[in-house]
Amino acid sequence: MAEMSIKERNLLKELEGGFKLERSPFKRIARELGYTENEVIETIKKFRDSGVIRRIGIAVRPERIGQSSNALVIWEVPADRVEEVGAVMAARQEISHCYDRETPIGWTGNLFTMVHAKEEAHLTNILNELTEATGLHPVKILRTVRELKKTSMRYFTQEEDES
Amino acid sequence: MDDKDREIIRLLQGDFPLTPEPYRAIGDKLWLDEMSVISRIAKLIQTGVIRHFGPFFDSRKLGYTGALIAMEVPEHKLEDVIDLVNSYDEITHNYLRDGKPNMWFTVIARDAARRDQILDEIRANSGIQDILVFPSRRLFKVRVDLD
Repeated sequence: MAEMSIKERNLLKELEGGFKLERSPFKRIARELGYTENEVIETIKKFRDSGVIRRIGIAVRPERIGQSSNALVIWEVPADRVEEVGAVMAARQEISHCYDRETPIGWTGNLFTMVHAKEEAHLTNILNELTEATGLHPVKILRTVRELKKTSMRYFTQEEDES
Repeated sequence: MDDKDREIIRLLQGDFPLTPEPYRAIGDKLWLDEMSVISRIAKLIQTGVIRHFGPFFDSRKLGYTGALIAMEVPEHKLEDVIDLVNSYDEITHNYLRDGKPNMWFTVIARDAARRDQILDEIRANSGIQDILVFPSRRLFKVRVDLD
């Protein structure tokens, strides 16, 4: 667990709420939390460089940018091929997530990929190309029927803090 | 959405400028003034194209543990189970999928004990005992703009 001071926690909590659209965001935050503007910027850079902050920017809704045929596609990959096949999958622009996962007893398929396609035919093409590249066939293709929830995790903001 | 909006989206999928006037820095790259950048981003948030704007934390670096969870929910229980599952802050993504199991969600909990507590509560309150847990063993990719 990354070490941080209360002052730093307060800064991460402020940022976690999302950026406000203001011309000098770091100056306003500095004033509110007892930093200088430069200290705010340097502290954010420190957490970004250490990887606590993976990235700063936006997340978009894929269906709003023309990707409508999305599926969780699961592959059974033997342990000695996981690195090779995982790298092939990860290199595909249409694959947003790729994880090797532990699986419950009786379950087939350990490599989990999220595939984003424009339409059903496009999804089929992508999967055919992946089969050609790896010699593997998907064991499960679970298309997205309905997005039920999509939020960002709050690590620093407890519910009682929200006003 | 026009080409300038698409360029703003592309730039914001990379790294946000950590400078005193970040929107001016973005505008300078796109031949837009600062206030146009701000109002275009506001509109993209308002219309729902942008879901989140800010930092993305690495849950593992903060000591949290994550897993993908799946359960088969019969049609007649669906809306109740959706409400139940979605009520947890630690469950950030939840999807209904075709095939079996049909409900897939992610849990990010401060430790495995809290994760198991959440899953026990879901079992008790949904009456569905069979919940499949898929902890991550190796991460190959999380595409930054869709996470």
